[in-house]
Amino acid sequence: MSFSKNVFGTLLLFLCSASALFGQSDTPILSGTVQFLGTSNAGANFYQPVIVPILAVPLGDHFFIESRAEIQGFIARDNGTTGPYSGQFIATFDYAQLDYIANSHLTISVGRFLTPFNIYNERYNAPWIKNLPDAAIIFPIGTRTSGSSDGAMVRGVAVARKKFEVNYTAYFSALTNVENLGSGRAAGGRVGIFFPEKGFEIGTSYQRFLQNGELNASGAYLVWQPPRIPLDIRSEFAHSPNGQGYWLESAYRFAKDRRNISGIGRLQAVARIQQYFNGTPQAGDSLPLADTNRFDFGLNYYLPHDVRLNGSYGRQFSSLGNANIWEYGITYRFLFPAWPGGSR
Amino acid sequence: MKGRVTAFLATAALLACGLSPVASPQNPAPAQKSATVTRTTAQQSKEGERRFQANCGRCHNAPEAISPREVKAVLQHMRVRAMLSAEDEQLILKFLAP
Ligand code: HEC
Repeated sequence: MSFSKNVFGTLLLFLCSASALFGQSDTPILSGTVQFLGTSNAGANFYQPVIVPILAVPLGDHFFIESRAEIQGFIARDNGTTGPYSGQFIATFDYAQLDYIANSHLTISVGRFLTPFNIYNERYNAPWIKNLPDAAIIFPIGTRTSGSSDGAMVRGVAVARKKFEVNYTAYFSALTNVENLGSGRAAGGRVGIFFPEKGFEIGTSYQRFLQNGELNASGAYLVWQPPRIPLDIRSEFAHSPNGQGYWLESAYRFAKDRRNISGIGRLQAVARIQQYFNGTPQAGDSLPLADTNRFDFGLNYYLPHDVRLNGSYGRQFSSLGNANIWEYGITYRFLFPAWPGGSR
Repeated sequence: MKGRVTAFLATAALLACGLSPVASPQNPAPAQKSATVTRTTAQQSKEGERRFQANCGRCHNAPEAISPREVKAVLQHMRVRAMLSAEDEQLILKFLAP
């Protein structure tokens, strides 16, 4: 903990001095999420308060610093379903990176960044964004060990046409065992093709994990937002020697269109199916030890001022035991300038 | 490790200061003359709105409001995350903070 405080302190100091060198309009932002989540999983109740602060600092038009920490509490009964409640808190750094935005085709990032395998980790794994509170079962595939990488990454849009865009990321990461900043030794990337007029994207990912005997993970994903219906369809498939599986999620907003949000239009219904097939389990792969299927259904209500209420029910089927999972929560996304005062 | 991180941050700071061109003032749009200028700006703002609609609800609920002081940081963040083009960034910026 004191180590991460040091890093964060150094980073802040650096940000303050660096920002002073650049333009007035480069106001940094402090953003993030506060969430409270309650869960009942196979009869065991637990509560998870979460704070996820984000600091983002523009340094002129080409440099950018972004960082996100996560302070997560876990409050549960000592013996699962009996005994007194006690809690523990863990703090992690999800990313702390310096981006050099060369042009639309190329951004170079160094530091700690979210491992870009498929899309869940980079795009949906923020508490206020995810439509269902639990990450997909296959999430650890391609994002070992911590979902974050310590190294360097290039990304951008390789080809941009009116009808389609090809986007890519490629990275390498070093092994880091430092508490709160862990990452695996790995290299990989993702390529996607996006059709703006159709709201459709499809892509594929690859990771070579360069420790524990070297493993290859591969994946594919698709996203579809039909332009005239407020429907979001997302899906991922991932394969590794430890196991493979997929998830498919569909979310519908009860509104005429995405911008028209009033009354019932603030309500969203979500359904997700998942199938996981066990491979050769390995210590630290964070995957289930048996084939697992899961179905989730959830309702989200988007209140004004970036507050969201959510409730969901899930059923998990596995030879190790079936379970009902009920979850409910409240999420607030905040955003404000990190320095007070001053006009643009 | 701590030394390495500090060294990395220091190098990054040096790089950031040394390499970057002087930050260009935003929107140096001359507020003078001719209807053409106004029309172009109106068109740009319309195009900015279109691109906002097309891009900003793809991954999450499109934000209801972003204050002008926050816009640049948000758009740069999204530019890196969502791989927006420089043109998208400029047009959406004009729409959100005219
Ligand atoms: C490719 C997916 C994607 C697209 C497209 C996208 N965003 Fe985001 N946005 C994210 C993610 C992921 C986060 C959360 C960042 C985090 O938690 O690390 C985010 C965060 C934000 C935030 C919170 C503040 C911040 O910087 O974290 C705002 C505001 C925002 N986005 C606005 C926009 C706008 C405006 C657009 C259109 C230009 C846009 N987003 C397009 C993925 C996306």
